[in-house]
Amino acid sequence: MVDISKLIEVRGHARGGQGMVTAFEILAKIFSYRYNYEVQAFPFFGVERTGAPIQAYLRISPEAILTRNYIYQPHLIVIFDEGLIDQTPVFDGLYEEGSLLINTENPPEFFKGKAKHIYTVPATRISVENKLGSKTLPIVNAAMVGAMLKILGADISEATEIIYEEVPAKPEANEKSAKTAFRQVQELTDEHYQPAQNGQTPPVSKEPEWDVPFWDKPMSINKTGNWRVIAPKYEELEAPCTDNCPAGTDVRKFVRLASEGKFEEAYEIIYQHNPFPAICGRVCPHFCQQNCNRIFLDEKVNIGAIERFIGDKNGQYPHQPETVENKEKIAVVGSGPAGLTAALRLRKMGYEVTVFEALPKAGGMMRSGIPAFRLPPDVLDKEIEKIERQGVKIITDKKVTIDELDEKFSAIITAVGSHIGSNLRIGNDELLIDGIEFLRDLNISGKKEQVKKGETVAVIGGGNTAIDVARTVLRLGTKPTIYYRRTRQEMPAIAEEVEEAIKEGVPIQFLTAPVRLKNKNGRHELILQKMELGEPDESGRRRPVPVEGSEYSVLTDKLIKAIGQWPDPFVFSGKEIEARQGRLNEVMADSKTPVFCAGDMAWGGTVVEAIGSGNEVGREVDAFLKGKEWKKPEKNREVATHDRINYRYYLPTPGNPTPVTTPGNLTNNFDEVASGLTQETILKEAGRCLHCGECFNCGNCLNYCPDAAIFIDDDFRLRIDYDYCKGCGICVRECPCSAIQYVEESSLAETEPKNELHQK
Amino acid sequence: MLQFETTEMQKTPRADLLTRHTKKVLKGNSAAAIAAKLSKVSLVTAYPITPQTSIIEEITNMIASGEFDAESVNMESEHSVFAALIGASLAGERVFTATSGQGLFYAHEVLHAIAHMRLPVVACNVGRPSFPWNIWADQTDSISQRDTGWVQYYCESSQEVMDTIIQSYRLAEKLKLPVMVVLDAFYMSHTSENVYIPDQKMVNEFCPPREKMDDQIDLEHPKAFGGLVGPDMYDKYNRLYWESIRKVESETIQLGNEFDKTFGRKYAAVEAVNIHEKTEKILVTMASVTTTARQIVNRHPEVGLLKIRLFKPFPKKSVLSVLDNVSGDCAIINIDRNYPGDTEGALMQEMKRALHGTPYNIFGVYTGLGGRDVSSKTIEKIIESDFDKTGIDGVIWMT
Repeated sequence: MVDISKLIEVRGHARGGQGMVTAFEILAKIFSYRYNYEVQAFPFFGVERTGAPIQAYLRISPEAILTRNYIYQPHLIVIFDEGLIDQTPVFDGLYEEGSLLINTENPPEFFKGKAKHIYTVPATRISVENKLGSKTLPIVNAAMVGAMLKILGADISEATEIIYEEVPAKPEANEKSAKTAFRQVQELTDEHYQPAQNGQTPPVSKEPEWDVPFWDKPMSINKTGNWRVIAPKYEELEAPCTDNCPAGTDVRKFVRLASEGKFEEAYEIIYQHNPFPAICGRVCPHFCQQNCNRIFLDEKVNIGAIERFIGDKNGQYPHQPETVENKEKIAVVGSGPAGLTAALRLRKMGYEVTVFEALPKAGGMMRSGIPAFRLPPDVLDKEIEKIERQGVKIITDKKVTIDELDEKFSAIITAVGSHIGSNLRIGNDELLIDGIEFLRDLNISGKKEQVKKGETVAVIGGGNTAIDVARTVLRLGTKPTIYYRRTRQEMPAIAEEVEEAIKEGVPIQFLTAPVRLKNKNGRHELILQKMELGEPDESGRRRPVPVEGSEYSVLTDKLIKAIGQWPDPFVFSGKEIEARQGRLNEVMADSKTPVFCAGDMAWGGTVVEAIGSGNEVGREVDAFLKGKEWKKPEKNREVATHDRINYRYYLPTPGNPTPVTTPGNLTNNFDEVASGLTQETILKEAGRCLHCGECFNCGNCLNYCPDAAIFIDDDFRLRIDYDYCKGCGICVRECPCSAIQYVEESSLAETEPKNELHQK
Repeated sequence: MLQFETTEMQKTPRADLLTRHTKKVLKGNSAAAIAAKLSKVSLVTAYPITPQTSIIEEITNMIASGEFDAESVNMESEHSVFAALIGASLAGERVFTATSGQGLFYAHEVLHAIAHMRLPVVACNVGRPSFPWNIWADQTDSISQRDTGWVQYYCESSQEVMDTIIQSYRLAEKLKLPVMVVLDAFYMSHTSENVYIPDQKMVNEFCPPREKMDDQIDLEHPKAFGGLVGPDMYDKYNRLYWESIRKVESETIQLGNEFDKTFGRKYAAVEAVNIHEKTEKILVTMASVTTTARQIVNRHPEVGLLKIRLFKPFPKKSVLSVLDNVSGDCAIINIDRNYPGDTEGALMQEMKRALHGTPYNIFGVYTGLGGRDVSSKTIEKIIESDFDKTGIDGVIWMT
């Protein structure tokens, strides 16, 4: 605690706009009114823009203050913005016995060597929690007042009334903020402090040299004269999440809407690209999360949980049947994610669409290949029902060929998926159970006699099917072991699923490949060989290479292979057709109706990739039927990658992972293992989004613009008044999320905004 | 009569009057705005300029909220600000404005007119320098209005700003002279400190409403003002002015005593601290530098402090009376926070004039110009300086 029985001089460092001058005035009032002290509070006088480093001073004394100069040797230095430590010599001149208070998330130990008495307080966090200021420029003054009162040994309850009355707005929030900060001050007294270290500030990194263009047009065009040669402009960049979604979903937008509690609008945004939000929220590998820029700050945003919540919440969304406007009829073979997505797209474009499904229930691999503990069937039923409600006709139990459909439709889309398991080719293959077939039999007809309780089951493979099979047979009371020829790193299965399988008690033997299989007294003797990783193959993964003389055998009751799948050629009447995305010219040779292809049989292998494939084929078929040339649209938008994010303006905030339960007794327990988050948590999680590349009205540019050339228009958007912008680029540099870009002066349209207020 | 022990005595009201004051932590600019309200000003004209602007902002806020019953008029320039005050003051209103630096320079012509039309205008000036362009503390703007005929007070604290404005209306209306109340930019205008605000009733008693003039604007009896005056009459006006301006010093002292009786705080034309027979050096100061000098004087028994509160007309009699018992060897060191474009600063010039014919060594220091901080170290350096050796004609520059 700082001794206040004599004159105490305090120097504060902050950024313009954080409220430091007001904070010091409030402290002066508290010490004057409550403790009858003499006081002086004043800023370092200057013309300062918001965001610029500023200083303020405070003197409190039980006797008359006989000085009116600046403070050079403060007893207490208060730092409102930790970022200033690298920019200005904030520690200069502190008394040997002096104290330091820093607004930081770090503990006092972090600042050891800077002062004898070090205090820290998370004022930014406290202020943001109390909704004071914007996310990027929090107004921390009340919290700092609270912390300073603590250090100066004052009574917070004596002060709250003054804080309440003196703050310019939000008195309750400010009072609460001050009280919280008062309690959260951490202290460190360093008996070994050497003042010689004081005043050393880290060097400021040198700015890159700009190749500055020059203004060579008449001055009348630009009211700022020849100052501005490059211009800032609000221009969105693609968010990495959106960029990475195979379905093309505007991820950033639906997350923002979710953060605002607009779950219905968020659902509509997802539905534009993806008719299976509740499903993808559960089973998608979440490509969107994999390059989330938040990873460089703390941890990725749990977009999957947000999508799942939106999907579930809008379970009863009233989709209306679409009217048929075109004469052409379209057949879709296969009711998986690709087929149904393509069918819905074309139905919404006004075509009559019929989907043919070989199995008794629609859903494709979502139905037959994904176990209920990952995707409860009723979730699937609901999303398919919504598609049917919009007018898509699904005929089940109807395994068709293109030849059968020829000439009855204007276009045929084949999307039959990959439901035939690849062969292991180690001899005695007839003894093997096929994984994908096993899951299908269980999911569709409840057939589980292939394995019996207590049996040992060897599962061969490292993909999602292998993991799903192992977890399923575990629930059927067997003892499964997975054998995979590479390591965990190379496993194509979703990492979280592998984690859950291990937690549930499925052992996985890595770097192990089967070589032979023998029948031994009604059981299987599986000969395995140890592998090691060699050079990378064409998939980029390191190729497993057998280790000489490492063969060994295990005895197992059952053996299930899950090493890959391929499409059933039945749809092509058994003809060898190389399936690929889009129009299949080979089939065209002997069919009159044009044939297209999408889904797993063409590429991908996940639900979301199949959805993306379905979207694309839908657009291609429409273009074909309208006689238009079709080309896959190219992705050419610039992405707001992590190096373009100004992380200093975001607070580290722990994420909200999806809760996963590992039941004690798994036998016959097919309950969903992952559960959804509550609405409150979803709002928090969506609020963690950094808004990469998209303006979120934080107002940082407005605060920082030294020429007041940024204004808020009638639609509450931030705009640049180019009559007054001098092109200094501070807004570009200080934008947290890269929503403002430098553009060539010549590329500015003449229609760019002018602030009418300025013109008056 | 002129000696004070500490600033405390000057600032804090007597115990019996404490209950008639409200203690507030205020900036110098807020104190000025509240003083205008307490003085029952009826018309304020305004044009913004840093660092004065917040005075006008606070006044117009109070007018808008109804707690201050006055008219406020936004003008298009300082020249018009002061010109409008001529009309309003001629019509019998009690008027007020505030300005700074270039604004005051721009009003220069009208300042002459106000003074010589004998209008009791009170204006606050928050001091700024001349050129190069600069907004920080300096007294060059008001110093360069020395010859306009305005009375000038320089204040040391927010309390003194408030008290001086109240006293100024009494003086202005009694002697028919305009008064400029000067405070330092930022060191006072933007510094929050304790101020005791007197209750309105006390101010009403001390400063009753302005009396009606015989020659004020009367719509029933139209008159012309400010016409051409020929050689046969012109000097008569100046002579009359001279007679009034000679009364300012004694009137200031008398008002200060009367103020003390009502409010419990005493003011005079000058204030002397630690000046006695053995004083070797006297620092002469104005405005905020005075406070820091008090601290130094406390540490050096041989150094005295003479604060000039009334600068224009220069209080020669008070200065001589302070020096009554002081030895002729004493060095008089004038701290000039102004640069009037001359070899000597304004305080040094005026003190030389006042001490004409005395044996004192008179020196001058240019310091604190354009807002340069005058710290206690600066003042220590000043009293340690050998002006005969390092000064040029007795003047040094302290940076």
